Amino acid sequence: MKTSLSELTDFYYKELYETLKKLEERRLKLKKKIINYTLVAFVLITLFLWQFSKASLSAETLVFAFVLYTGTGSFIYKFLTRDFVSNFKESIIEPLIRKIDTNLHYFKDVHIPDHHIYASTLFDSPIDKINGNDYVTGKIEDVPIAFSDIHLEKKVKDSKGRTSWHTVFQGLFIVSEFPKSFHSHTYVFPDTAQSLLGEYLGSLVQNNNFFAKGKLVKMDSPEFEKEFVVYSDDQIEARYILTPALMEKLLNFQKRLKEPLSVAFSGKNIYLAVENNQDLFEPSVFHSLLKYKIAMQYVETLHLALGIVEELKLNQKLWSKK
Amino acid sequence: MSTPLILLIVFGIVLVLMYNSLVSKKNQVENIFSTIDTQLKKRYNLIPNLVASVSKYMEHEKSTLEELTKLRSDANKPNLSQKEKIALDKKVSQALGSIMISVENYPELKANENMMHLQRTLFELEEQIAAARRAYNQAVTDYNNALEMIPTNIMASLMGYTPKEWFEIDENERKNLDVKKLFDNI
Repeated sequence: MKTSLSELTDFYYKELYETLKKLEERRLKLKKKIINYTLVAFVLITLFLWQFSKASLSAETLVFAFVLYTGTGSFIYKFLTRDFVSNFKESIIEPLIRKIDTNLHYFKDVHIPDHHIYASTLFDSPIDKINGNDYVTGKIEDVPIAFSDIHLEKKVKDSKGRTSWHTVFQGLFIVSEFPKSFHSHTYVFPDTAQSLLGEYLGSLVQNNNFFAKGKLVKMDSPEFEKEFVVYSDDQIEARYILTPALMEKLLNFQKRLKEPLSVAFSGKNIYLAVENNQDLFEPSVFHSLLKYKIAMQYVETLHLALGIVEELKLNQKLWSKK
Repeated sequence: MSTPLILLIVFGIVLVLMYNSLVSKKNQVENIFSTIDTQLKKRYNLIPNLVASVSKYMEHEKSTLEELTKLRSDANKPNLSQKEKIALDKKVSQALGSIMISVENYPELKANENMMHLQRTLFELEEQIAAARRAYNQAVTDYNNALEMIPTNIMASLMGYTPKEWFEIDENERKNLDVKKLFDNI
């Protein structure tokens, strides 16, 4: 990737400035509108509830009122900001992606194809609902890459038969081609057991984890072992994939992310899942688009996701890959 | 059931578990070693081709090439122990390494298509061997730990198990080769 982070930031503030200014004006108007509408809705709902309950406030009425307020509030917000969000993505996010590489395609309303999510076999729970958006696909230095925001949920039924949705994963999901050929499945997960229970007990738990995918692979890098836990169905191939150099690069990548990173090597691909529990690239009406912190969020996420080809050296096709 | 009987059964189960875990650790070492062995053989089979391709060019490295050929014939001897194989591998890795560095001094050779193919194959094999060596060392560590730790150490000494040797991993090998630099002229 030839575009550096500072170039991208420059591009955001210089070349997109006019567009940003227009969007910013629109945002301020929209903010006013949303506040007004919400206030009106608030008054109307309160009047309605007051009439309805005749001023006797029970706990149930309060819960009902709360649900009604937040529901109406978020409906108004979504309804009013739809065009603004879509406009922002077309005129800001898309040019940013094009700036990084003109071979990349951006689809603001769809997520990464389901088969990638299933093929990664990263997620244990059954997935009943897949949502997401901001799908980017294309090639960087001839290496296929794709990513998007995803939100995976499963259906949970309680004893009374009520269904609710539980989040399995929310965050950034990236897939790219891995330069070596292999046949096994290898997984790298954040090491929660060892950081919670200490090295010895933690490794006991990992060794006897029945839900684990394959067998525990102890790696020969202490720093890597501290941060991650590796499972694989082939001890040797796991190390063929995770060379000392790649372990170091994954560690550096994790340091930059600051959010839990899981990686799977499966088929001929590498899958990375960054669990940040938020919908990325969504502009907020309540924050200025010109603010450095907000701008950096968009720019950095893009740079990080598309930078993995170079960062993990996925472009070194020396191996006689079949 | 009386208490002594229960204790005896529990003790028996513990013994069986200890025995089985030691056997599985030993077999893990053997299994991985046999994979390394196959990979080393693949690499030994590349040597004649390599020697043939480079000997025309390389005048100063004649002795290293001769040593390589000799090492290969040593490696083909039957009934070598694991220890001997490990020692041979170390020598071969060193000799191959020095030849690969010398190739840099012969631009004509470096650009040779056959040579480039050989280098690629060798590089990939080296990566696989390196991975297998690391897996072997981990298996040996697990095995040796069991041999030294209480209570498996008692069982292991009764079974006549002895500690196994590691593959020494060269510090240079840990640094990944800079591939781009190696094949800059492609």
